[in-house]
Amino acid sequence: MTADTSVPITIKELNTENPRWCAGCGDFGVIMGLKRFIVDRQLAPSQTVNVSGIGCSGRAPNYFNTYGVHSIHGRPIPIALGVALARPDLNLFVHSGDGDALSIGGNHLIHGINKNFKCVFLLYDNEMYALTKNQTSPTTRRDHPTNTQPQGTFLNPLNPITMALGLGASFVASTADWIPDHLTNTMKAAFDHPGFAFVHISQRCPHYDPNNFDHKNSNWFSFLKHPNGIAPDRRLADKSQVVEHDPSNLAQAFQYGAAGHRYFGLYFQNKSKPRYDDILHNLVDKTVKKDPSKILDSFLV
Amino acid sequence: MSLEQRPVTRFELLMDAGTGAQKAGDILLGAFVGMGQYVYVEPMIPAEISPPARSRPALSGVIIRLADFDVTNIGNDTDLLLAAHEIVLDRRLDDNEFNTDAKILLDMGDQEANPDSYEMVLKRCTKLGLSVIPFDVDPESQTIVKELGGKGQNLHYLGMLSYIYNMDEEIVQSQIIKTFGKKLKEDIMAKNLTLYHNGYRLAKEKVFFRIDVKTHKREGQQILIDGNTSMSMGLIDAGIKLYSGYPITPASSIMHTLAKNFPAYGGMVHQAEDEIAAIGCAVGSYYAGMPAVTATSGPGLSLKQEFIGFATVAEIPLILIDVQRAGPSTGMPTKTEQSDLLAALCGSHGDYTKIIISVSNVIDCFYAPHLARYLTEKLRVPVFILSDFQTANSYKVVAKFPLAQMKNVDEIPDFVFDRFHMKRLTGPIEMVRTQQTLPGTEGGMRRITGLNTDENGKINYFSDNHQRSHRVRNEKIHHVRRALTTPEMFGKDTNEILIVGWGATRGAIEEAITLCAKNGVPASGMHFRIVYPLPLMLKDIFAKYKKVMTVEGTYGDMLKPSSLALLLRSETLKDIHPLIAEATGRPVRPRIIMQKIQEALK
Repeated sequence: MTADTSVPITIKELNTENPRWCAGCGDFGVIMGLKRFIVDRQLAPSQTVNVSGIGCSGRAPNYFNTYGVHSIHGRPIPIALGVALARPDLNLFVHSGDGDALSIGGNHLIHGINKNFKCVFLLYDNEMYALTKNQTSPTTRRDHPTNTQPQGTFLNPLNPITMALGLGASFVASTADWIPDHLTNTMKAAFDHPGFAFVHISQRCPHYDPNNFDHKNSNWFSFLKHPNGIAPDRRLADKSQVVEHDPSNLAQAFQYGAAGHRYFGLYFQNKSKPRYDDILHNLVDKTVKKDPSKILDSFLV
Repeated sequence: MSLEQRPVTRFELLMDAGTGAQKAGDILLGAFVGMGQYVYVEPMIPAEISPPARSRPALSGVIIRLADFDVTNIGNDTDLLLAAHEIVLDRRLDDNEFNTDAKILLDMGDQEANPDSYEMVLKRCTKLGLSVIPFDVDPESQTIVKELGGKGQNLHYLGMLSYIYNMDEEIVQSQIIKTFGKKLKEDIMAKNLTLYHNGYRLAKEKVFFRIDVKTHKREGQQILIDGNTSMSMGLIDAGIKLYSGYPITPASSIMHTLAKNFPAYGGMVHQAEDEIAAIGCAVGSYYAGMPAVTATSGPGLSLKQEFIGFATVAEIPLILIDVQRAGPSTGMPTKTEQSDLLAALCGSHGDYTKIIISVSNVIDCFYAPHLARYLTEKLRVPVFILSDFQTANSYKVVAKFPLAQMKNVDEIPDFVFDRFHMKRLTGPIEMVRTQQTLPGTEGGMRRITGLNTDENGKINYFSDNHQRSHRVRNEKIHHVRRALTTPEMFGKDTNEILIVGWGATRGAIEEAITLCAKNGVPASGMHFRIVYPLPLMLKDIFAKYKKVMTVEGTYGDMLKPSSLALLLRSETLKDIHPLIAEATGRPVRPRIIMQKIQEALK
């Protein structure tokens, strides 16, 4: 075992095995963005926990030489909350796909957002189930054919951004796997947020849906820009549009969010929303302690 | 006027839900306990909060078994019953739990409005040979009950029962004041006390018998506690720091008790968004080194199954309390059953490993968390604690038991092992993964996953390796198997018949065997606290009995072995059938056990 807090952390040290993802998968970009952030911030790997569910994104924790839990389908949020309650000092990242977070684990996302416990929540949204081989997910665009709805996906997709905003999320940001600087800057803002930081990541799946996100052109999206927000990607900012948006403006955030994958940046942030993990810890800290050698005394007859 | 001597007797008070039958029972109980009586109390709780008054589902009440000696179960039959009206009485008669000379005090207040219904129920009582003593609440008391918005009738009945059980009127009054104390305004309290004294007077005038309750002096400190409360306190004493649960009957009262008490002992209660999240949070907490527990009942156990398998493969400690209720599906939420044994044993997919501890009384409830924590941290396999509605809600007086104040699992006292009939684990225990560091440990970074892994924690799909993982996990269970000692036995060690049970049936089995000995019935008994794994010497023990049969609170018949019978058959290859396998929602009764033994021996 080597000490990890005494030496500078490098990308190389954060790597484990070669990821078992398809060539060109957006997941490579997402984990590289997070690794770059960990290196930038020099987060100790031994103090860092990645938690995931099932799916392509679920594999992510296996590819970080930190602590990690690759759990069961849809349930990374309850596990992450358990870790946050047990060890509030650890750096906590949750990795979840659109099927994992918005379908089978939807209830946990609702309540994770509402509980607002401290973690960075990364929603890997490739708009499909990929590991199970190309099925319709809650975010698959309408009429797009899949193995379960070959006639074309029946319903309009859920909008994760307005959903999170509507649930009262204290931090809602959006980025994409192919804009590395913006991705890393988004991780920074999310990590520094005191609460549940909801990060939506548009993620390519070249194997099953190669034409979904046009990563070679940037004329179809804009960056949200504000001194309290996330800086637009320097390399793409010239080509793509940049719009001013104050992340304290919830109504405006809904308007941009409703456009769906057209705006990257910080939609909304409220740093003063109470945190469930803090509330539970404070309750324990502030309660006058009783003598544990007398726990049966109140039942004496 | 007769004064009856009864070393053990049972009575019940039946009223509509929400009218305070259980509260009256608690007051009476406090007074009995003060006299040094041994009591065992079973509340009868409706599944709904406010079912319509004067309906069969509204039956709410309390059964109290009183004795000059320690009683381990609610016993056989009721000697005296006080019913607020004919409907709750009619409903309770269905259960057929009355002595042939039982007396029934029936409030006739509703007769005028429901003459036919009363007539029918009175006829039913006559047919059953039960003697009914009709009475009417006096006019002054009726007026007061009206003034109190329909409340206070329970105190009137309490007064009647106090007289019948030959109790000091003033002692019970002080118990009433102690119970309601600050909650009631002075004038309301005065009205309640008037109702109590009027009831006492009414019985004095109308009831022509009394039952003598002796006063005993008891050595040492005594406590009065129910199963779920004892389990809650046991969790604190075992050093658990997080309770993660979702509201479900009858497990919820553990969460209520801990919500009030846990923070004062450094613990947290997390009410999760669903059953799955509840177990997930417990898994996350234990993964990060904070001992955690989740508890559930009925449908909740089904919902948690996937996480149980995950904890097994990921080698994360997990303690799951299941307070069983009648199933399947929603079943009967406030009725007792022992029907989750197989769901605990085989519920999660893919042949996972597990240990199942059961509880039979309030003391087991207290120490089961200690043993569960020890086993789950030593072995990193899920440990179930199976309780049930009956054990969770019944309460009794016991000598105050010693605390362990466990900070780590090696501090577990020897007497906990003795109680559960096993020895401390010895020798090295192999894990699937060699490294088992906690997050935050410098240099110990590792990933855990529900996928199969090799000893280095690397994902591995090779056939040999998967076989190894199963072997290592099962070897953990074999460690426990080898540490198990002879289970608790009652009666002679060779006999015509051996009856076997687990969990809640312990008291009834013990009493049945005593009853058999008195009546010359050649029967012995056996009881398991740890239900899985089972000890290795079972086959040798069973060989000493001509017949082995089970007593279980779950369904079984000659073609379908009940859960324990099925398990014992597979472990011993002995032709074991259930003697009693009843899913009635009612506790198993000692007298019925003896009857069935006699039939089986014919």
